[in-house]
Amino acid sequence: MALRAILWALCLIAMAAFATWQLRGGHTGIDADILSLIGQENADPNGPQSDIATVRHLLANDGRQAIFMLSHSDRDTLETAATDFADRIAALDGTQAITLPGHNNDRFADLMALYSPHANSLLSPSDREELTDGNAETLYRRAIQNLYSPATTLSSQSLKQDPFALLPAFLSDLGAKLGTGNDVIAQGGQFYLPVMASLSPDLRSSGNDQRWVTGANAALQSITDATPGLSVAKTGQIFFAVAEASRAQSDVQRIAIIATIGILVMIGLVFYSPLPLFGALLVVGSGLLAGLAAVVAIFPAIHAIALVFGATMIGISVDYALHYLVLRSDAGSPVDRLRKIRPGLSLGLLTSVIGFGALSLSPTQLLSQIAVYSVAGLVAAYCSVLFLLPLIPARDVRPSSPILKLHDGLQAILGKTFAPIRVRLIASAAIIITLALSAFLIPGNNDIRQFGHGNDALISDAGKIADILGLGGSPVFIRIDGTNPQDRLETGEAVRDALTPLIADNRLGGMIGLSDLIPSITRQTENRDLVTTGLYDRFGTALSDQLPVTITAPDKAADYLIPDDNTARALPEIARLHSNGSDIIRLRNATDIDAISTALGDIENVTLINPPIAISNQFAAYRLWAWIALGGALCVAAILAVLRYGLSTGICVFAAPAGAILFAVLGGYAFGIAQSFFTTMALFLVFAIGADYVLFLAESRNGPHDDDTRLAVLLSLISSVLAFGLLATSSVPLVRDIGSVIAIGLIGAWFLAFWMTAPTKNNTQTQNQRGQE
Amino acid sequence: MIPIRRLIASVATVALLTSSMTGTARADDIPAPATIGTEQYLGGSFTMDRHLDGFDKPLTSNGDFVLSPTKGLVWRTLAPFPGTTILDDHGITRIDDQGNRDELARGDQFRQFVELISAVLAGNWQPLEQHFDIARDTTESNAWQVILTPKDGSTIQNQISKITATGTDFVENVRLEKPAGDHDAIALSGQSLQSLPLPPEFANLLTGAGQ
Repeated sequence: MALRAILWALCLIAMAAFATWQLRGGHTGIDADILSLIGQENADPNGPQSDIATVRHLLANDGRQAIFMLSHSDRDTLETAATDFADRIAALDGTQAITLPGHNNDRFADLMALYSPHANSLLSPSDREELTDGNAETLYRRAIQNLYSPATTLSSQSLKQDPFALLPAFLSDLGAKLGTGNDVIAQGGQFYLPVMASLSPDLRSSGNDQRWVTGANAALQSITDATPGLSVAKTGQIFFAVAEASRAQSDVQRIAIIATIGILVMIGLVFYSPLPLFGALLVVGSGLLAGLAAVVAIFPAIHAIALVFGATMIGISVDYALHYLVLRSDAGSPVDRLRKIRPGLSLGLLTSVIGFGALSLSPTQLLSQIAVYSVAGLVAAYCSVLFLLPLIPARDVRPSSPILKLHDGLQAILGKTFAPIRVRLIASAAIIITLALSAFLIPGNNDIRQFGHGNDALISDAGKIADILGLGGSPVFIRIDGTNPQDRLETGEAVRDALTPLIADNRLGGMIGLSDLIPSITRQTENRDLVTTGLYDRFGTALSDQLPVTITAPDKAADYLIPDDNTARALPEIARLHSNGSDIIRLRNATDIDAISTALGDIENVTLINPPIAISNQFAAYRLWAWIALGGALCVAAILAVLRYGLSTGICVFAAPAGAILFAVLGGYAFGIAQSFFTTMALFLVFAIGADYVLFLAESRNGPHDDDTRLAVLLSLISSVLAFGLLATSSVPLVRDIGSVIAIGLIGAWFLAFWMTAPTKNNTQTQNQRGQE
Repeated sequence: MIPIRRLIASVATVALLTSSMTGTARADDIPAPATIGTEQYLGGSFTMDRHLDGFDKPLTSNGDFVLSPTKGLVWRTLAPFPGTTILDDHGITRIDDQGNRDELARGDQFRQFVELISAVLAGNWQPLEQHFDIARDTTESNAWQVILTPKDGSTIQNQISKITATGTDFVENVRLEKPAGDHDAIALSGQSLQSLPLPPEFANLLTGAGQ
């Protein structure tokens, strides 16, 4: 036994060293970004991009931007403050770039360098319309006037490349399409100036987001203190994520402290000794360690949610430890005592492994990670009970323990509820049928927005900024698919044509797509033809007469402006308008989704995507997978139970965890808890722990350590309810829902475990009574 | 993203500021130009030679203008091609010889231009000091000279490298130099201060600017 213990201890040490090396050495990342929950499917990499993958890409892009809106009644004061503030934000570690209106002249030079050689291929819609309608003379007059205007961008260089001054009109139109945010905005006697910060791609995943937000808040406070009358607002996913994480962390820390103290007190009140507590911690700790080592060995990055869910199996592994620890010291040697509980322990492990193993069959990495963590963790906890706990000196439950007295009282009450096997079978059938119906009939709510607590100040700020920048309305966007980039650009132009009437009607605030920045070659060819025939052929000579330079018609064989690395450097916006082989059209202030959908009706390869709906659908799919896995696990558990205990008893044994799940589902529904993917995942915990309860009791039923097992199950219940029940007090809906569902389910599991395994003979003797014998 | 309107506004601001000096530039140590009252406007003629780098001959135009601290600037080119540019609190608008309006820039920020001009007319150089280093001197003919150089990091630095304005009672010459080597030389003449209202042909143009 000592050898096995040493070997197992060495294994645990090796796992600890490996996990530490992986995580500290950066070989495995911990992803805390909520976006990582979506769109990371184990899908064919060569397959078409899913809506959710596009949503994830766009949200990831948008999530790298923070917007600060500064306002003041005096423009100069505002600009001075904004410049100072922008410098402070730029100096923060994690800030990649700052966009401040009026401070991007280098950018203008870059744009002119990109666009000027193609000036004759780029027409604003109004210029294009004039040329199409044969009104080229209007543009010629404008070009002439531009030569002598005091307000002009004319230069010797522009005159050579763009004598008809077409490019300023194109750029002016493009500026309008891009919307506000590039200039000072005046509203209601106040000036508003947006300062936009682009964040490093790894800022959030590296865990430095909290530090950045703290620095940004300090900069805001500083500039506000230094500038009387200055108002500020901020928005960006990073602020919401940090606020949410801080709140959740605070809640979980508070709950963990209370629960740990509670469990310590409970075990202390049972044994009056620290040794059992040490044993419990050893088993739980080895489970957590092995789970972590398994996921870091398999996955290149693990999600924090997977870690949290995996860690909740503490509620199962503590069952294993308590199951052994409550055995009386006079029940034989450690090996003898272990032998008594081993069948129940093994069956409990097998059932849980089947349940969590079913999750690994799902197509989502998140569920796979939870499955791997839980299975590895439970196997390790099981091994620790077998190999390590026997080395710890046994401590008996003290007869004067108040927990023991509570246990005896509850046993007496439960004994009065016991029913004949026939009644239990009927109840089992009712449970199974009702559970199946509940799974189908109780509606799910997969809206991701319900999971967060929300921060009133941030929500208010986001609303203000959206109003000022004209970014309200639905967050829908358009994806254009196609293997040929030019085909996609042409489709983008068709979408622009289709939606322009809606913009005129104010049913759509605006739109910007890749084809607005880089027209298709077809469109550029058309523009060249229009410019050549309409302007150069007709007015080239006349314009030459006014200039000290000869005007020559554009070279129709000249290179076209195309989306390549060069354009991507000059136009970083392209990253926001492109996603893995698809083009994206961003919509602003979309208020009439039906009209947009109708307008797009005849255009092929175009998909209108609503991010909240896409995300909700994704979580609905996750939830479905979780239910399928749960159903599969229940079926396997039923077969095992029947094989082990015979048909009647087996059905009753199986019905206990099934009933616990039903209890959790109906209880959650009654308390108004949303039936989401996460609460469905919580049902796995209910199932696994419920199965442990009933298997432990079934295995010890009518045996000499029956009452020890009952006490162990009660202690497990108290510790689990302490941990999960306190989660129900969290202010974060996601945490609260999970805690509530598990707490409700476990109470049901405890009752049903006793009720379904009621002794076949009068054997309700309490441990106190036994101790007195 | 593209500050084209902002750029145009910046250029226009410089043009405006140089034009605005036609009746301004009071300083303690140089002769003071005339001040335009809020109930007055300044009228005169201009000749603008636009020198483009690499071209032998400048683009020359001439015309007349009116400037009012409260109404804005009307820059009316008469030759070689008629056309008008209006800068007022509605933005920048061009009007061709057939009356077609082309709004180049629009926004409340352009209201600042007129306010800035008024400050200049009052001899208050402070608004300019935010964006320019200002050097003042007198010439041999006892005319005053103001040289405006964009400050390092100023938003206008990439479009304007230096502005030189000289004059006596009013600004008489403005040289506007650009980084690419181009420059505009503007000569102002026949200037006089008049009381509002503006002449009808100018007043009508301003009234229509916001439409």
